[in-house]
Amino acid sequence: MNQKELNLILDDVKSFPSLPAAALKLLTLLKDEKSSNTQIEQLLRYEPGLTANILKLTNSAFFGLPKQIGSIRQAILMIGWKRLIQIVLTSCVSAIIDKPVHGYDLSSGDLWRHSIAVSVASEILVKELNLSVSEEVFTAALLHDVGKMVLGRYVKNDIAAIDREELRDMPFEQVERSIFGIDHAEIGANILGRWSFPPSMVTVVRWHHDPDGAPKTNHLIDVVHVADVLCLMSGIGVGREGLQYRPSQTACERIGLTEAHLEKVASQTLQTANQLAESLQADS
Amino acid sequence: MNHVVAVGDMKTGCREDMIVTHALGSCLGLMVYDPAAQVGGLLHAMLPLSKINLQKAFENPYMFVDTGVPELFRQLYDLGGQKSRMVIKAAGCGQPLGNSEMFKIGERNHTILKKLLWKNNILLEAEDVGGVASRTVYFDISTGQVIISSKGVKREL
Repeated sequence: MNQKELNLILDDVKSFPSLPAAALKLLTLLKDEKSSNTQIEQLLRYEPGLTANILKLTNSAFFGLPKQIGSIRQAILMIGWKRLIQIVLTSCVSAIIDKPVHGYDLSSGDLWRHSIAVSVASEILVKELNLSVSEEVFTAALLHDVGKMVLGRYVKNDIAAIDREELRDMPFEQVERSIFGIDHAEIGANILGRWSFPPSMVTVVRWHHDPDGAPKTNHLIDVVHVADVLCLMSGIGVGREGLQYRPSQTACERIGLTEAHLEKVASQTLQTANQLAESLQADS
Repeated sequence: MNHVVAVGDMKTGCREDMIVTHALGSCLGLMVYDPAAQVGGLLHAMLPLSKINLQKAFENPYMFVDTGVPELFRQLYDLGGQKSRMVIKAAGCGQPLGNSEMFKIGERNHTILKKLLWKNNILLEAEDVGGVASRTVYFDISTGQVIISSKGVKREL
């Protein structure tokens, strides 16, 4: 590893795009249990672009609501304000993560589709395993790989070193670490920290490949860890490194996962993820 | 014409067609070809057995190996293909590192395929399966040639 390259990577983290101001405000509302529907309505009143997006998304096939929604107030009543904020964040984040990621050989939209699929798979896992995990799981899952947006360029430059035979059996985030002194998970956590995301979500992104390495293990990390591997296996946004990651047996045990759960969740994820992706695409 | 097969999907083609499927991880890619009739089909199945979600299997048989493979053969028979002439190749069925039984969906996909073919007296001509690689398949129906691409390297199967 070389210190100069690591410094360049950390500089790139600092100049990484920030989230739109409205998204950050909504995020603070999401964190606060006392937030009210009125507060959200008021915030969105000054964001006509976001309001239009929300209404389009709320009326899309993903939610399958029986009747057309015409106002933010109705949208909050029908899908709940937490869900609504998640959807707004998803549409804000989409613009950042839908770009091609060189190095990992992800074409335009691949990382975005993968991220959405991991969000959807995480929620289905939570439901299937009957876990009490906070709603944050959706947005944390959505952003788990954002670090790849920064590291991709360096992976591309150092691809010969990364492709060495003796590194083939090493989980890819460890390969990154051995070469750059940092991996895409830690970079992603840095980005979320700079965006002032809650520590619980930063932790998910930081440990999504190594849930047992977290200072304090928790189901939120375990779920995103499993959902990520499952989506890669299903070929949704799988990159050059393929399946070169190691699922944690203990994480699976902590959440009580079995083979049957895993396959059932896989069978349910694809269609829902496609529906959500289509809904989001329709408004861009 | 170019056909792209998504996850949990199948496409057939004839004469000058090219059928492509991207990013096979633990999914099974099955290429079946009748050189005399010049018809072929490519299945991209995600999971081994339909019993895990019968509703989904009913909506989309191509999601599962046990429902997708018979459907692929049926469609090729409709296009004039004959079982005795079929050339069959398989790709994909990978798995992550660490040898975890739970995550061996690829291996289970492969096992169910072998069972199905064996029960029907059909042999696999060639396969490129297992490991951590993500594979893309190009299936040229004019010649029956199958090219596998992984990490930017292409080779014929």
